[in-house]
Amino acid sequence: MQGKKSLFQYISFIILVSLLLTACQGGGAGGGDKVLTLIWTQEFDSLNPLYTNMWFTTVTHQVWLSWAWEFDQANNAFPKLVTELPSMENGGISEDGMVITMHLRDDLEWSDGEKLTADDFIFTWEMAINPANSVASTYPYDRISSIEAPDDTTVVINFIEPFAPWLATLWHGILPAHILKPVFEAEGTIDNAPWNLAPTVGCGPYVLDTWESGSFARFVRNDNWWGEEPKIDEVFFRFVPDDASQVAALQAGDGDVGTFIAYSDVPTLQDAGITIVTEPSGYNEGMFFVINEELGHPALLDVKVRQAIAMGIDRVSMNEDLLLGLTQVPASFWDALAYYNDPPLENYPYDPAAAAALLDEAGWVDSNGNGVRDKDGVELELTYGTTIREIRQNAQAVIQQQLAEIGIAIEILSYDADIYFSSYGDGPAASGELDIMEWSDGPIFPDADVYYWLCDEIPSDDYPDGTNWFFLCDPELDELVLAQSTQVDAAARQQSISRINQIFHDQVYWLGLWQDPDVWAVSSRVQNYKFSVVTPLYNIVEWDLIEASE
Amino acid sequence: MLRFIIKRVLQAIPLLFFISLILFFLMMNMGDPIAAMAGRNVTRSSDRARLTRQLGLDQPIYMQYIYWLIGNDWKKIDIDGDGIGDSYGTREGILRGDFGTSIVNRGRPVTEVIAQRLPNTLILMVASEVVIIVGALGIGVYSALRQYSWVDHAITAVSFVGYSMPIFFIALLSMYLFGVLFKRWGLPYLPTVGMFDPEEGKTVGQVLLHMILPVLSISLISFAAYSRYIRSTMLEVLGQDYIRTAKAKGLPKRQIVFIHALKNASLPIVTVIGLDLPLLLGGAIVTERIFAWPGMGRLFLDHVSRADTPVVMGILMLIAVAVVVFQILTDIVYAWLDPRIRFEK
Repeated sequence: MQGKKSLFQYISFIILVSLLLTACQGGGAGGGDKVLTLIWTQEFDSLNPLYTNMWFTTVTHQVWLSWAWEFDQANNAFPKLVTELPSMENGGISEDGMVITMHLRDDLEWSDGEKLTADDFIFTWEMAINPANSVASTYPYDRISSIEAPDDTTVVINFIEPFAPWLATLWHGILPAHILKPVFEAEGTIDNAPWNLAPTVGCGPYVLDTWESGSFARFVRNDNWWGEEPKIDEVFFRFVPDDASQVAALQAGDGDVGTFIAYSDVPTLQDAGITIVTEPSGYNEGMFFVINEELGHPALLDVKVRQAIAMGIDRVSMNEDLLLGLTQVPASFWDALAYYNDPPLENYPYDPAAAAALLDEAGWVDSNGNGVRDKDGVELELTYGTTIREIRQNAQAVIQQQLAEIGIAIEILSYDADIYFSSYGDGPAASGELDIMEWSDGPIFPDADVYYWLCDEIPSDDYPDGTNWFFLCDPELDELVLAQSTQVDAAARQQSISRINQIFHDQVYWLGLWQDPDVWAVSSRVQNYKFSVVTPLYNIVEWDLIEASE
Repeated sequence: MLRFIIKRVLQAIPLLFFISLILFFLMMNMGDPIAAMAGRNVTRSSDRARLTRQLGLDQPIYMQYIYWLIGNDWKKIDIDGDGIGDSYGTREGILRGDFGTSIVNRGRPVTEVIAQRLPNTLILMVASEVVIIVGALGIGVYSALRQYSWVDHAITAVSFVGYSMPIFFIALLSMYLFGVLFKRWGLPYLPTVGMFDPEEGKTVGQVLLHMILPVLSISLISFAAYSRYIRSTMLEVLGQDYIRTAKAKGLPKRQIVFIHALKNASLPIVTVIGLDLPLLLGGAIVTERIFAWPGMGRLFLDHVSRADTPVVMGILMLIAVAVVVFQILTDIVYAWLDPRIRFEK
């Protein structure tokens, strides 16, 4: 009996010590502060901007690590660390597009009181391209040949060749040289710098206080912030990986803002008095066709078959029924960039009769009476794979049924996202194992740049890293895609991309299913919020909480 | 006893080696860490080639296993991609206590990643296990003493309802009922997710409050199995001659049940608990995910989905070692409970 008593005492001791340990790790606001709680369904990977491509991380930058320029609700850039946006008119961009000169504000400070200067920009570029650092991407810094700093507030960027997408891609987060340079000098890399995961020095209205793995990240006011004073005391990101739990937490008031809300949850949240905000993100859900003589189904080589598929799917009804009318059918891959849709493109209508006629015309007829069209002994049976996301699987089922009506058999395949997007040789998408693939993608919004469809990006055993997973080589498209990335003349670039758009539409290289906007859920106690797509929390200093002030 | 322990530990070494080998090879085929880094666009080809080299993923799998096991500080690594080794690696391998660094949280040592989550899992799982054992003991003994009574039937029915429901259903149901609906109805309600309310701060009281629903969910599905097991072993023991003798001697019922019967009925239960205990370290994957509890289960899920081999291997090896250790402890407890069992020949 004594032994059992001791056992229970021991267990009680373990629980108590664990509770104290966790409770002692800190993380409480207390004192009636205004705390904004954002529910994030994915946790940050690294807070060093060079070491992440993750949306859930980069969109926090406006809270603690201001960009050189940010983007407003209309997705127009506005200066943040710089005094004005470089342009040809103000001399910030050279006529040949090879040099961009930026002028920094002279009152910039890091949260520890150190001056933020041109040296920090140079250091950021040096770290991005240094082979000792395993950064997530060297792009766009690998397009820069050198950077000069004539003085503390002037940054002169020299490019290898004219670089059109500079506004959408450059300076997404600056590194504090005074913190990281000593680490680099000591270790030869910043891979293991403590700042990457605990950046207690930043240059935004808030600064990181605590990031507790798997649980939360808390940002408190930055006393050395040089901009408008924020109204909210603390910004608290709570990591809640489960979608249903996110909805319950929002309904129960355990979170103020949620994102990546499933369309099917929208009515539930609206009934609970939560506002749903949708912002066109530049991303569109679409079908990618493998168009290659060796890979993919031979029928997809014929544009008439692809056009028949476009007309055989009732995409309007799909948006109304599956996506509750919250989205529309995108007319093109660049749907959110109206400037590059000139002349505006029109979607293929749902017209099964016309689709069937096109298939007949292409020689695909049901010669053996099995309900599936065929040609030269080859059945029109296509494999169509995507990830296991619920809405995608629903769409697959609808598309399978509708295409069956015009004599196209579809084999549906679903994969975990990490398997689906694995590299050439491992993943079905990169390896050309499917005829039709589906995911959400877009240009480097708000820029129009794309790089997927280049002929020399087709993956192979010799070049497994290629990004042209459609195995498509169209010389005209190739030339235009290459040209537009160096065109700094806006009108010329508009022409190039509009032409690319037209080719995509006419050739049906890609078929849009629905726009994929950012969907935010905001509780009624949050005020003055606005969202942009690239920098969603750009006006975080204006946000307020009404209950906390009552 | 000491000889027994040393023998078992020595036996465990080759076993752990083979476990690590199998797990590593399985893990290396379970996804692409570089694809997982891509964000919303496909990784650029130049970045993929560079990261593959920098993270050592261009090496054959057996070589990556060797690096994981004994480190790479004896081999020159190509840093700039020119095919020529530039400087010696920095990894020491798990045999020298270096579990490596996370690929997802670049630069964070695996031991640190795990150490941050382990206390959270322990408070949740140990509390759940205590609730399960205490509750199941009470229910099991009560049912055994009142076999085939209506209470026994009712307990059996309720525990099987709990057992047959998937945990995600119980978790979400309890979250909606006690978190969302109770609040809507103006009743005292429980928090839905996380470990504390950010406006209140992370206090012991807040953590306890946030533990209620996850502990309840984990316990509900486990009551049935444990209580039925205890019931059947108690019934078996209660029918033994020595219990009849104890009754004949006029010992109080409480003493017969809790001293004489329960101790002997506990023997097989100790085995079950001994097998369960190391798995507590792995956390409750579904429960932690639903209640956003930052424990080991979620850590495993988050990192396995992003093919973070060093972290996943660290977790799996921790559990493998724990299984071996708890098996040895179970044998020792067995001897304490049943003096007939001895380790010496």
